[in-house]
Amino acid sequence: MSYLNIDAQAANTYDAIVVGSGISGGWAAKELTGKGLRTLVLERGRDVQHVTDYPTTMMNPWEFEHRGQLPREIKEQNPIISKCYAFYEGSTHFFVKDAEHPYVQEKPFDWIRGYQVGGKSLMWARQTQRWSDFDFQGPARDGFAVDWPIRYADLAPWYTYVEKFAGITGNKDGLPQLPDGEFLPPHEWNCVEKHFSEQMAKRYQNSRPVIMGRAAHITQPKPIHLQQGRAQCQHRTICERGCPFGGYFSSNSSTLPWAAKTGKMTLRPHSVVHSIIYDEKKGKATGVRVIDANTKQMTEFYARVIFINAAALNTNLILLNSTSARFPNGLGNDSGVLGKYVAFHNYRAGVSGEYDGFLESTTDGRRPNSPYIPRFRNVMKQETDFLRGYAAGFSAGRISRTNQDGLGADLKSGLLNPTLGGWYVGSHMMGETIPKESNYVALDSAQKDPFGIPQLKISVAYDDNDEKMVKDYLEQMTEMFTAAGFTNIRTRDDKRNPGLDIHEMGGARMGKDPKTSILNKWNQMHAVKNVFVTDGASMTSTSTQNPSLTYMAMSARSVDYAVKEMKRQTL
Amino acid sequence: MQRRAALQQLAVTVGGFISLPAWANGWNANTIGSSSGLLSAPQDELLAIVVDTIIPETDTPGAKALGVHSFLQKVVADCYEPKAAETLKQGLAATEAMARQTYSRSFGECDTPQRIDVLKRLNQSAEQTQTDFYKLVKALTIRGYTSSEYVMTNLTKYEMVPGRYHGCVPVPAKAIPQTK
Repeated sequence: MSYLNIDAQAANTYDAIVVGSGISGGWAAKELTGKGLRTLVLERGRDVQHVTDYPTTMMNPWEFEHRGQLPREIKEQNPIISKCYAFYEGSTHFFVKDAEHPYVQEKPFDWIRGYQVGGKSLMWARQTQRWSDFDFQGPARDGFAVDWPIRYADLAPWYTYVEKFAGITGNKDGLPQLPDGEFLPPHEWNCVEKHFSEQMAKRYQNSRPVIMGRAAHITQPKPIHLQQGRAQCQHRTICERGCPFGGYFSSNSSTLPWAAKTGKMTLRPHSVVHSIIYDEKKGKATGVRVIDANTKQMTEFYARVIFINAAALNTNLILLNSTSARFPNGLGNDSGVLGKYVAFHNYRAGVSGEYDGFLESTTDGRRPNSPYIPRFRNVMKQETDFLRGYAAGFSAGRISRTNQDGLGADLKSGLLNPTLGGWYVGSHMMGETIPKESNYVALDSAQKDPFGIPQLKISVAYDDNDEKMVKDYLEQMTEMFTAAGFTNIRTRDDKRNPGLDIHEMGGARMGKDPKTSILNKWNQMHAVKNVFVTDGASMTSTSTQNPSLTYMAMSARSVDYAVKEMKRQTL
Repeated sequence: MQRRAALQQLAVTVGGFISLPAWANGWNANTIGSSSGLLSAPQDELLAIVVDTIIPETDTPGAKALGVHSFLQKVVADCYEPKAAETLKQGLAATEAMARQTYSRSFGECDTPQRIDVLKRLNQSAEQTQTDFYKLVKALTIRGYTSSEYVMTNLTKYEMVPGRYHGCVPVPAKAIPQTK
């Protein structure tokens, strides 16, 4: 080896590498740099600087060429991403276009991706509930997947840690199935939501609590938020365009600038990770192979510890593509379970209705959050003919109506003199799905992506348990709406494809036994101790709660462990 | 509100830590919604009269003055199926023909009641292209008008930055629509 190569190798060597800059990668970067490690953060997409790279954030509705509507060409060219609720004229630039990043759908799967610095943390729905032991004990109690190697007590201090920094609004409700966190003041209820909550408390003797949602919004900034350059949420509810106030948590507004301030972070956009380099003599990973998205050149980067936070399915892709004589089926895949036991959240069903009361009251302003109904099915014990259960969103509001009859001055007068309609109410389900070996991702044997990397083949589908759960949700919510005096109740099952929930999880699951899992209780690879996975890929089961807060907590906890081990020279 | 002014106000609100990005300059309503090339100049002129018949000037500007005809063409050209552009062109020709047939003059030469009558006749026509045209143009005129800067700023008072949510307040004397 020439001196030149040694120099090049030294220049490309860091203490730590983080693959991905979304919610979990941002946290890994913040924690690693905060503990003094020189950290390379690799992001496959372009850079997105907080505020300056939010081109639509200050645009008024009339400033959009099509007033928010997607042009036909974009919809035709992007049938998958066009299904996403957050994809519209104001946010197209933050979503992956279908044709640019192909994948193979062995079964229909709408894979929603955001390839840029910050990842999907820019456009996420910001709901942040803690998981409880009813979630972590689920697989063991109900006999599916494998037992989680951690319990709530392991994560609780780390939930506290990340909540304080991220800024989470919520109310302390004292529910065992949804532990309280470090909350900023809660959002307000409206009259009908409060009515529903009270009626449900009476009707179900507090067994079906309806609470205010917990979300990553700064309702009242603390010094730690101001130090990040973030301010109070201004209730614009156009969050998916990026927030100039930093009112909601994103990597771009929070963890990445914090990591940058340490002077220890090197952020490298346009860096598509091809695979992890495994050194058979050392028995550990030594770095990653990166394809420059612009030049298509491959470069290697090296570090003592590697965090894979590429988002659930892409983390699987990288690990599956990291083959060596020691690991012919993917890095750390002695068990053969890598890519398998993928699960997601079932968002198919919803219920809507109307309410005739409180006509003297309305709402004022906008709220980037809504009430939440934690899982009430099979919580303490199995009681239905399906496993697990669902949480539900709930909200109420009034809509202005205009008289659009006629033409001319009469029509104009009708448009400018709206009347307030009655209250509408709506709910949607968020069902836990059961991880199964038959729901998997794998490398496609024939098709490559534009970087020469095998395309990901996705084979994930609903099962009978999901069908039963949809039916039960529709029945139960109809009963609850009826009990609250709501009328004109309508149910829907939109039969959406898996993936559109954007809560895909698993594939590199945590577990106690290396024979049946990829990661141990520290999100550390059983077989390759200096590789950690703290994004959705690590999840053993899915709970009904939104997963992002748990990824944040796991990332911080895992980095803390990794750095302690590095100091003890065991890594 | 001018974008830069809005951003400056925003910067003051949150403590002045936001530097104004380059894109904050030079944007206003006039730079957006330019002609799509869908219609010829006479067709464009006729459509302007049609939208102004649907929503006329009163003590406030009508649809034409707010550029609703330009918006309408833009959306039809970019967002609708190609058939809609044909419906628009054929409907404009039918509008002119209906005016000449009924009132022996061009649509532009008709007075307001005559123009309204012509549009109503198109709506009641046995020919589907004409009823489709009526529905398309009326719906998009309403949308273009109610989402215009003038209306949202001065009449329906859109708030970009509400800064609040109050759950239970008395219904105001005049309800105000709020959209994204």
